[in-house]
Amino acid sequence: MASAGGRLALRGIRPPTKLPTLSPSRQLPVRICANPSSVPSARYTSTTTSQPPNESTEHETQSSVDPAEIRHFDGLASSWWDPYGTSRLLHLMNPLRHTFISRCRATSAKSASSAPSGQLRYLDVGCGGGIFAESAARLPGTASVTGVDPSPAVLAVARAHARRDPVLLEPGRLEYRNAAVEQLARPEGPGQQYDVVSLFEVLEHVSYPAPFLQSVMPHVKPGGWLVLSTIARTWTSWLTTKVVAEEVVRMVPRGTHDWSKYVNESELRAWFAKQPGWDNSQTMGVVYVPGMGWSEVRGGEGFGNYFFGVQKSIS
Amino acid sequence: MQRRVPARLSCSFHRTPRHGASRRGFASEATSASTPGPEPELYDVVCVGGGPAGLSLLTGLRSSPATSHLKMALIDGLDLDKGKMRNPSPESYSNRCSSLTPASVSYLKEIGAWRHIHTERVQPYQEMQVWDGVTASRISFDSNPSHMSTIATMVENPNITTALLTRLTSLSPSTAIFSPSRVASIALGASTPKLDLSSWPVVTLADGRRLAARLLVGADGANSPVRTFAGIESRGWDYDAVGVVATLKLEGLGRGGGGHKVAYQRFLPSGPIAMLPLPGDMATLVWSTTRKRSTILKGLGTGSGFAHMVNAGFRLEAVDIEYLHQVAGEKGVAAEAEIADEVAWRETHTRWDESKVPMRVVGVQNSSIASFPLRMRHADTYTGERVALVGDAAHTIHPLAGQGLNQGQGDAAALAHTIARAVEQGQDIGSLLALEPYTSERYLANNAMLGVVDKLHKLYRVQSGPLVPLRSWGLSAVDSFGWVKGWLIGRAAGI
Repeated sequence: MASAGGRLALRGIRPPTKLPTLSPSRQLPVRICANPSSVPSARYTSTTTSQPPNESTEHETQSSVDPAEIRHFDGLASSWWDPYGTSRLLHLMNPLRHTFISRCRATSAKSASSAPSGQLRYLDVGCGGGIFAESAARLPGTASVTGVDPSPAVLAVARAHARRDPVLLEPGRLEYRNAAVEQLARPEGPGQQYDVVSLFEVLEHVSYPAPFLQSVMPHVKPGGWLVLSTIARTWTSWLTTKVVAEEVVRMVPRGTHDWSKYVNESELRAWFAKQPGWDNSQTMGVVYVPGMGWSEVRGGEGFGNYFFGVQKSIS
Repeated sequence: MQRRVPARLSCSFHRTPRHGASRRGFASEATSASTPGPEPELYDVVCVGGGPAGLSLLTGLRSSPATSHLKMALIDGLDLDKGKMRNPSPESYSNRCSSLTPASVSYLKEIGAWRHIHTERVQPYQEMQVWDGVTASRISFDSNPSHMSTIATMVENPNITTALLTRLTSLSPSTAIFSPSRVASIALGASTPKLDLSSWPVVTLADGRRLAARLLVGADGANSPVRTFAGIESRGWDYDAVGVVATLKLEGLGRGGGGHKVAYQRFLPSGPIAMLPLPGDMATLVWSTTRKRSTILKGLGTGSGFAHMVNAGFRLEAVDIEYLHQVAGEKGVAAEAEIADEVAWRETHTRWDESKVPMRVVGVQNSSIASFPLRMRHADTYTGERVALVGDAAHTIHPLAGQGLNQGQGDAAALAHTIARAVEQGQDIGSLLALEPYTSERYLANNAMLGVVDKLHKLYRVQSGPLVPLRSWGLSAVDSFGWVKGWLIGRAAGI
């Protein structure tokens, strides 16, 4: 399979053939604007995720999800909740996700709130083993959390782990769906939409971000937020996430990331500026310092991990 | 799959750790023990042990907005209500007193417990006199260098626990208190299709009631059953020494009167002797000494012989004190008159500065003499999956710096803050990851204090050789540098 060859090249830690530039005036990214059907990309995989029988209610549609990515995360499922295992960095990052969401929501607190009751509905896309979904479901200000992930093995871990906490088993508090976001029913009104739709560490695993984001956006309630975290495509991120994290320190399993899939903050901001009905974008750059954990770094979005949030207009 | 362990094992505290204490729970197939019995009641926090550390933790959680809603239970083998201080006599003080640092006092204020303290029974002190019993080299601490009015505050332990208990039971929602109630066993819960409690410790009480804990707190003392359950090792050593305590009546209010109180500590080769002020003309004694000498001292009873020994302990030479113990050891209570004569005669041949030693003891409160073994212990870690240790369950310290109870208060404050932060971030408060900041915040600080106090103990047991002039020089040098003393007082005050 051609796509496997592309990944192998990166596994050999060969430097990227085309140099990324830190300049914000970089040309518009090809990938994010590309219409997938018109690009004969070696990496493009059009697939229909096979559904387990009990998930037959989900729509059978095209998914943005690369099956190789699903296989990779299936393999990581067992260690997902080991705080000293391969997901440690995600566990440590989790509190910052709540910090960022609170910060985003605070910018619009004075205007009409998306949730007058104060009880938020969350949709966590690419929820994995449920690190964020569980934590959101425990917060007192949460009405419900829906986690979706296309990897059946990872979702089985999420469901099994939630059984350890009676609070999460309260009816309606936390629900998992084994699906890609494209397979969710298109919401028919604000009652079916969410106050917070999150894509944490997901975008860098998606082959075609633009159509993927477009399939996520309808799920956000007017006044609600789409929040994500991902990694900028820079020399620094290539060095830290591919070479140091995967090859030298082996902190992250080899093959977790495909550097060429990374999306820059400037690209996201420019893309959302063109989407009607979306504004108030927020950014927070973060850096992992061994021994100290994650911390916010002003301008960090220019070279590594960052959070990005954008609000759907109320109109 | 659940693997049932033999019933014999499920009734004991011990569970074999497979991957070391800090990783427990991840090999659940081998470690979970499903105990038969009624469905356990689920709690967020179950605290075993109602001493100052455990009570302070629960009160701290209950009085913080982030954690006040948690469902909590307290288990203690003793009747906590019966142990409460009621209409205490101003003439009589408990022999179990602690020197609370300003940091501990401010935490007790923060959680609303201090207003329930019998404040007429607490005694702040503003000066500390510490000297070497072999070379007479001296260091004096007073509060001026760091602009504090109080170095520490003497409080009876029952006064602290009564105040905490009163505060805790006045807060809502109410905390379930099982007391007196013995813990019969601790084992991991069962996994059912409905709910997976295989990572939850389930405490079975002697009467068969069962409590499942999202977070089980071991505030259960030096021989902590919770620590044993968690498979956390505690390492250290016993000193060949015991602490003798007593409540004393002095000839007056103290050298500085009632408004300026002084704590005294003299390092003798057999161990430090300390006298700490209580209100009025009362004081409390902590005399660390050898096992043999402690038996001799206790054999004197609360008569005048004991008082003479204490007075000599702060004034006479080490050889004199040794001789007095010989006499007392041979004749016991009958030696009272002989000891009095010996002390009087030896005092005429000894020089000391009477203004820098405590006032003379004129009486010993009835049945107030007691002793406890001195130990140094430190657990390998303070946390496991769904387990946290506080106070003596985590560390036992030599009492010479009076830091034991303060360390427990520091633990309780740090754990309460860690739990509050975890709740605010939606974390499972029993998860290792949520508890991680607690261990990292407290472990090194406690370890440093344990180490310093242990080294001090060993340093001052030496009677001759090169260490003796060296330590005297050290003490005098420290005494002449204000900023070093300020730093030391700061450490001792926990700020």
